[in-house]
Amino acid sequence: MNNMTLYVSRDSPVHRVDPMTKLLFVFISITSTYILSDHLAVLGILLFTFFILLIGKVFKSILPVIGVSFLLIASIIIVQGFFHPDRATVLFEIGPIAIYKEGFLIAFLITLRVVNMVAAFGVLILTTKPDDLVEALLQKGLSPKFGYVLLSVLQIIPQMVALTGKITDAQRARGMETEGGIWMRFKSFLPLLGPVVLNSLTETRERSIALEIRGFNAKGNRTFLYERKNYRYSVPFRIALIAFFLAVIAWRVIS
Amino acid sequence: MSVLRVVNLKYKYPDSHRFALNDISFTVEKGEFLGIVGMNTSGKTTLCYALSGLVPHFFKGAYGGDVYIGDMDVLSHEISEITAKVGLVFENPFLQMTGAKFTVYDEIAFGLENQGVPRDVMHERIRESMKLLDIEGLQGKNPFSLSGGQMQRVAIASVIAMQPDVLILDEPTSQLDPEGAEEVFRVVEKLADEGMTIIMAEQKMEKLAAYADRILLLYDGKLIEDGKPEEVFSREDLNEFGVEPPVYVKISRALGLRNEMSGLYPISLEQMPTERDIQFHPVTKTNNGNTTSELIVRDLHFGYEKGQDVIRGLNVTLSGEPIAIIGQNGAGKTTFVKLLKALLKPDTGEILLNGAPLSETTAAKLASRIGLIFQNPNDQIFKHKVIDEVMFGPLNIGQTGEEALANAKEMLALVGLADKADENPYDLSLAERKMVAVASILAMDTDVVIFDEPTMGQDVRGKSKVQEIIHSLHEKGKLVICILHDMDFVADTFGRTIIFSNGGMLFDGPTREAFAQEEALRLARVEQPNITKLVQRLGYDRIILRATELI
Repeated sequence: MNNMTLYVSRDSPVHRVDPMTKLLFVFISITSTYILSDHLAVLGILLFTFFILLIGKVFKSILPVIGVSFLLIASIIIVQGFFHPDRATVLFEIGPIAIYKEGFLIAFLITLRVVNMVAAFGVLILTTKPDDLVEALLQKGLSPKFGYVLLSVLQIIPQMVALTGKITDAQRARGMETEGGIWMRFKSFLPLLGPVVLNSLTETRERSIALEIRGFNAKGNRTFLYERKNYRYSVPFRIALIAFFLAVIAWRVIS
Repeated sequence: MSVLRVVNLKYKYPDSHRFALNDISFTVEKGEFLGIVGMNTSGKTTLCYALSGLVPHFFKGAYGGDVYIGDMDVLSHEISEITAKVGLVFENPFLQMTGAKFTVYDEIAFGLENQGVPRDVMHERIRESMKLLDIEGLQGKNPFSLSGGQMQRVAIASVIAMQPDVLILDEPTSQLDPEGAEEVFRVVEKLADEGMTIIMAEQKMEKLAAYADRILLLYDGKLIEDGKPEEVFSREDLNEFGVEPPVYVKISRALGLRNEMSGLYPISLEQMPTERDIQFHPVTKTNNGNTTSELIVRDLHFGYEKGQDVIRGLNVTLSGEPIAIIGQNGAGKTTFVKLLKALLKPDTGEILLNGAPLSETTAAKLASRIGLIFQNPNDQIFKHKVIDEVMFGPLNIGQTGEEALANAKEMLALVGLADKADENPYDLSLAERKMVAVASILAMDTDVVIFDEPTMGQDVRGKSKVQEIIHSLHEKGKLVICILHDMDFVADTFGRTIIFSNGGMLFDGPTREAFAQEEALRLARVEQPNITKLVQRLGYDRIILRATELI
């Protein structure tokens, strides 16, 4: 059954880490790759993120997402490799087009950063139950409305996929061709966007009634059903992460 | 003191010129069970919204008069304060799940967390309400993985846990299959027995007649009558307000059985007199002899996941008179019609349309020959204007713009929505959207028309319109196949019935014989039509399908 989340339910050490520590990891992992401009260092960080995904037993689930971002990555490589202002050394040629080394290296660095960003968010989203994450943030003082929006964003991709399937069926049922080659699929995808968004909005209105009925906008203090268990290693992990981050900044300043 | 008091309530939705509620006054005492009846658009839902503060706080609009809950007036308090005292459950079970929680247990906690209920009290109340609604076994499940009946019970539990003084139910079973509806009615009865004040809008009059202490009859935003169920349901002019009395009243009226003292008709089985002899003249629908298209299904197998067959080896020939398919949710009925329409591809076996295998074509190419009206119109409708929605199919299958427009207008008139052609489908009620979906398929003038639960959410008038449509399609020589949960409608409309269970057919034959198959009906978890049950309980060993068969 479709659970409408990206969360992958597994039993792993990564799943047990508390959401705030994971959030800190995401932040530090991503910013570090932007502070550093050394290919090897960035590659190292990326490999470490992959390593965490492997421990969390969710490495396979991140691959399709990286696959989707490949379109973006490919365009970066082409544009940077082809047009970078410092281009001087031809790396290789594809027919009449020359790809230059300088641009290619920059493109490669950006690619590593993008992949790392996707993977780091993967660590957070694939191994943390969305409600746990949002509740951890609420307890830190985030407004419940913003928390709900965040939660909806986390569910939006699986929801859109489900809705798209339904509407495609509706269109096929009335004579719109969606089967066939990639061009046919692409052509039939565009008219889908309108209805998918419109449908989501209608559902949103009714769901907001459901929220109102359950006192979502109540003023006064909220309580939480579960006590957050303090994760045993969260302090050492956080210290390690911050120490790493300080080292990265220091290295950057010195070199 | 009254739990609820409504004084001269008037209300208009924003951008509307018509009063959705027009000068309504009534009171509700603690522990009362109040039923609200009326056709669609009579104002039932709006009244439910007004009692729970959504009108005017959420919907805005023009508001006059007063609603008091205890001594609190709705107008000057916020929704969150009102919903602490009034719980509301509405039609669509799916949209009542907040989506913020991922287990049933946590879902019930959502409202309590918002109210700031202490943790230990919260756990206690959640357990209590789960017990009351008999959903303890579901507590670890994801709410979205449940069936409609289960989801609706979770919705009621979530509201009950907040300990409201009044529980309002707005057609809580209209989107459920018979068993799901029965689950919900069972818990409503239990809550009523425990002394909860309940207000319920409902189309299933037999149920209201059985539970309600009082009935409000609404029509066009006005309160027509506020009285005992016997009084309201004995009104001779009830049909003019788009309300059908319980089957017992219909039969008693046909037989002239009135309580001599009060002049009222019996409204429940217990009140029916037993001494009266009844004569029968069963009417068998005759096939009009028109030849229709023919669908032949041979050894059909299908599963969404490997090793889990939803359809298990079906063999059937569909042609001739209109055919009803009945059976429990999850029996594979919808999957079956999607296979007939080639929206799904069989794993093994084949389907032939007039001798040609469906596997050689696509759903889109079939569009001009087989039309399928989806169960949920929201899954089917995707245009911003009703007329565009209805013209979408005809244009796709090659009708010219003029033809398509003419067809679309004709079909909208047929379903009674001619004046709504330029509106946005999403501004219409669910029942109207369902009719838009019907019109958009009929406009394609296909040889085969498949309906997936056309009576869902329809009032009496809607149902009789659907019935007319089915008859006229048959007259025109079309093959009509219909999935239904409304057994009274099946009995009244169809000559041939297929009982579906667990991916296979338990019975295929004349409707009168179908409703005699007690074992098959039990396995498929469907009930006999109300009138059939009634005649049998009165001691006659006959299968009666319509009130007109009694003398």
